[in-house]
Amino acid sequence: MSDTYTAIIIDDETLAREIIKNYLSDHNEITISAECTNGFDGIKKINELKPDLVFLDIQMPKLNGFELLELLDKPPVIIFSTAYDHFALKAFEANAADYLLKPYSKERFDEAIQKAFLPLKNKTEQSVLINKLIAQNDSKNEYLERIVIKDGPRINIVQIEDVKYLEAQDDYVMIYSSEGKFLKQKTMKYFEEHLDPVDFVRIHRSYIAGIKRIKKIELLEKETYQVILEDKACLPVSKTGYDKLKEILK
Amino acid sequence: MLTNPILKSLRNIYLYIAFWLVEGVIYFLLISFGMKAGYRIAIFDSLVFNFILAGLGLSFWYPAIYISIDNRISYKTFLTHMAGGIIASCLWLAIGFFIITNFLNSAAYSNFFYSTLAWRFFIGLLFYFLITSFYYLIIYYNSLQEKTLKESELKSLVTEAELKSLKFQINPHFIFNSLNSMSALTTIEPDRAKSMILKLADFLRYTLANNGKDKNRLEEELKNIKLYLEIEKIRFEDKFDFFEEIEPEALNVKVPNMILQPLFENAIKHAVYDSLEKITILLKCKMEGRFLVISVENNFENGYSKKGTGIGLQNIKSRLELIYNEKNLLEIKKEGDKFRVILYIPT
Repeated sequence: MSDTYTAIIIDDETLAREIIKNYLSDHNEITISAECTNGFDGIKKINELKPDLVFLDIQMPKLNGFELLELLDKPPVIIFSTAYDHFALKAFEANAADYLLKPYSKERFDEAIQKAFLPLKNKTEQSVLINKLIAQNDSKNEYLERIVIKDGPRINIVQIEDVKYLEAQDDYVMIYSSEGKFLKQKTMKYFEEHLDPVDFVRIHRSYIAGIKRIKKIELLEKETYQVILEDKACLPVSKTGYDKLKEILK
Repeated sequence: MLTNPILKSLRNIYLYIAFWLVEGVIYFLLISFGMKAGYRIAIFDSLVFNFILAGLGLSFWYPAIYISIDNRISYKTFLTHMAGGIIASCLWLAIGFFIITNFLNSAAYSNFFYSTLAWRFFIGLLFYFLITSFYYLIIYYNSLQEKTLKESELKSLVTEAELKSLKFQINPHFIFNSLNSMSALTTIEPDRAKSMILKLADFLRYTLANNGKDKNRLEEELKNIKLYLEIEKIRFEDKFDFFEEIEPEALNVKVPNMILQPLFENAIKHAVYDSLEKITILLKCKMEGRFLVISVENNFENGYSKKGTGIGLQNIKSRLELIYNEKNLLEIKKEGDKFRVILYIPT
């Protein structure tokens, strides 16, 4: 193997990074170009250094492994690691992605590296795999705590508490928050399923409103309603949306 | 349930006999003075008929348990009992008359018997209904008692199960990440690996050994908390500092086991896992009136604290409520970048 590759290690625990470096010490074909302690730093370094290989921990502060994957345009080959996460494991297994379960042995690590060399020569397969992983992770029935949005070179993290309402825009959803508005490539259905129904309600085919943001509901004309939010935004309400609102505000 | 409650204890049998003795005396007085029957006739009559009725009365238990009246008395059950009553009454009169005429064989008695036959028949019927009603009362009372007993048993079972489900459980994430750190240390710094293994072993031993216990001294609980924090310190190095202010008399107070662990796990999870800055955790324990007040405070990085802190704290709250039967033993305060949880442990 005459090729050489660059790698980035992303893990919030020093010792977890140490063991990867230790295991890599006899892989002369791989050089470590950066070490990151969180996902935020990780995405920056990936975009900057364009490594061939990334060692990625799933549970991390600020931006977790899956959120990081969503933000990658051309994903490098990724070797995932996790300590204990049922859902991540399911996603990996369903998509035949290789992953390291902490703690792992040198032999297991070498095996993962060997497997990684195959997609390293065939990068298109890797992005297909990663898209599948993201889709699988989306099916997880946990409510969102934050939404990560890529805007050119910038990454915005919108806290769910700050979201006022969402509006469908073709293949995208516009998120209106107290920090401004952000376009995210996801469906309304995705958000309807991943926003806590205690806080959000789908009032219309094209709108999801934050329940606490609703100031009043107005009768526009016969059987047509609209809601007024605290920032004076007016959103149309469909008939089923009105029924849902009535149920919630009862 | 199938045996007659009267035959269940000697005391009940005596009571039953006493009842029939009294009833026999009244019966005797009634027919000897009320109806002017002769002494001989009155004695025989009251003895035989009451003795038979006392015997038959025991057997009325069976119609009472086989014809159940759960919610309301239906037309059908009434008719069944009516038939039962008539048969019992006729049986009573026939046996009684047969026995007495065997002994007395006098026309005077036959005349007296036939002249009072209608009354006798109604008395038989009346006793049938009285005695079966009495049995129904007993059945109702027993099932009511059984129900309340079952209910209270169920309640204590539910409480026990609730307490069990609210108890602290070791976070697998913590275990596997710690093992990973140790695996790294074995090659890099074997001495530190050894000390971490020992700490984890002590922590696990305490946690597992005390799972069955309800309460421990605060001092022991704090020792275990410190083991936990030392292990996390190896994992996260300089990401957090821990300070404590503890009144010495607080150390001997008994607290529910592992009640503090989730508070520190929360602090570590939300402040340290999700933060890039250094976090300070401050523990204060002091006595205030009849309460031991424990406060755990940590700062967090604004805007990045996760929302879902509720469940762990809610569990502690419910657990305290179940153990001490008091509300509001947990208080949550969020001021600026400080998050504070206060426990009030009744002493």
